[in-house]
Amino acid sequence: MLVATCTAVFAQFQSGSYGSKKANSIDQTAPDQMSSDGNFAVASFPSFTPELAEGEGRAETESFCAMCHSTRYITMQPPLPAATWETEVNKMIKTFGAPIPDASAKKIISYLETHYTPEARKQ
Amino acid sequence: MEPWRGRVSRRDALKWLGAAAGGAAFGGWFDASSSAALAQERADAKAIEPFTGPGPNPHWNSIGPYISEPEKAPLILLTDRPVQLETPRSYFRTAFTPNDAFYVRWHLPEIPKRVDLVDWKLKIEGNVNKPLALSLSELMEKFKPVSVAAVNQCSGNSRSRFQPRVPGGQWGNGAMGNAMWTGVRLRELLDATGVKAGSVEVQFQGLETGPGPKGLGSNVFLKSLKLTDSVLDEAVVAYLMNGEPLPMLNGFPVRIVVPGYFATYWMKCLTWIRVLSAPDENFWMKTGYRMPDKPRGNTTPEEVKAGGVKTVPITRMPVRSFLVSPDGSLKIPAGMNVTLRGIAFSGYGRVVKVETSEDGAKTWREAELGEDLGAYSFRTWEAKWMPKTPGNYTVEVRATDEKGNVQTDEGVWNPGGYLWNKIEKQDIVVGKAS
Repeated sequence: MLVATCTAVFAQFQSGSYGSKKANSIDQTAPDQMSSDGNFAVASFPSFTPELAEGEGRAETESFCAMCHSTRYITMQPPLPAATWETEVNKMIKTFGAPIPDASAKKIISYLETHYTPEARKQ
Repeated sequence: MEPWRGRVSRRDALKWLGAAAGGAAFGGWFDASSSAALAQERADAKAIEPFTGPGPNPHWNSIGPYISEPEKAPLILLTDRPVQLETPRSYFRTAFTPNDAFYVRWHLPEIPKRVDLVDWKLKIEGNVNKPLALSLSELMEKFKPVSVAAVNQCSGNSRSRFQPRVPGGQWGNGAMGNAMWTGVRLRELLDATGVKAGSVEVQFQGLETGPGPKGLGSNVFLKSLKLTDSVLDEAVVAYLMNGEPLPMLNGFPVRIVVPGYFATYWMKCLTWIRVLSAPDENFWMKTGYRMPDKPRGNTTPEEVKAGGVKTVPITRMPVRSFLVSPDGSLKIPAGMNVTLRGIAFSGYGRVVKVETSEDGAKTWREAELGEDLGAYSFRTWEAKWMPKTPGNYTVEVRATDEKGNVQTDEGVWNPGGYLWNKIEKQDIVVGKAS
């Protein structure tokens, strides 16, 4: 009797399963120690450095671009046309004064155009 | 190992449970106690795609991971240096956005981590008769506190909807928030210093800096407003956000609140208020944050390429409305009476009407508006909806403000990725209930 009822109920639903893939977890942080002086401080802002596509020019891209901003500025973008990447790199140099030698700038542009366009982007 | 395992063995438990039949019925309990059942792991959850495009981002929020920053709940990461974080959709269920969930957008990499209020002063200087340097306690004690509920929205909120896509922060819809801001009227501070005749603009500078050469936008972030702009009458130097100090990432100790205007003017960690006798020509006014001088700031890549698209500094936020829940993550049983909930706002004045459509914009129904918290606040809305038959539905929402501005189904395009206010749509699946 008990067994028959159980079977009938189970036909209408499926129980959950418990898997083995890595969870997406966010660690909690410990509360700050504070004193009553005039200093108001927070903990460091964490870095999350993305992995850029492998290829010629990656080292230049990582080091020159990261002088002012994390390379997440690259991976955050949608795939952009080659001409847009060229404009962006030139804007960093001409408008914002990034001290990137010509040869390195060419390498960076070529790297972005090889890996981050609608045709090429994979990651 | 699971700590309780050493204390209670399966055999002991079966013995306590008694009869052999009982033992068989409860046997499954103990199989489920294997390590896989207790660890927080999941097998079949699919991670979101690592990037979107060249089509529009199809998600309500941007697609970055959730991360934890000081004084913040887990928020969606756009960039880590400088910090840019987006507020997840579910935090917009209420008219006021919690401080710890409020989105974050900085321009330059060196952002404040520590402020010593024994030394810190808000300076009001430039073309004035009597420059002032005020401590936080002087701001709180010497001036009359005022409060205003106002939406702070990034100029590039929803930039990831643009077609073709434009470079910049690829925000979903969560680069916005509403708070009750309390502080001192900007006009009161300007009056106390005595603005000299011939002054034209007032400039704001905060504590963020960058490694770029002096005089360039990569070194300092500066924003200015015309002294004749009536928005200055409503601007507040805020030291309270929803009744609490501002999180460091949202501009502790004070930020300028410019009700109705995009967040680009709302300088965080405001430390210099400078009265100018000539128009501000720095990068962030002359080049950045400008929109085509055309209706809705709308142009095309072709027009921009051809040149001659005149631009003006971005100012007020166009009317927008959002469905917050249901968000499409739940399948709805046919015949269930669900509540559609969301928010609406406009930089041109209060929202007077929100309408929803569930039939592809053929018919619109008026939603019930929540409390009126002021012209520049989020206004909550809700509407009952009962989908009678199973199928795929699209819920659309549009708002109208007191100036008669209504959202349309037309997107905009401009090179900066600003001013998006197209009607929002949410796909919802309704399943059989019998």
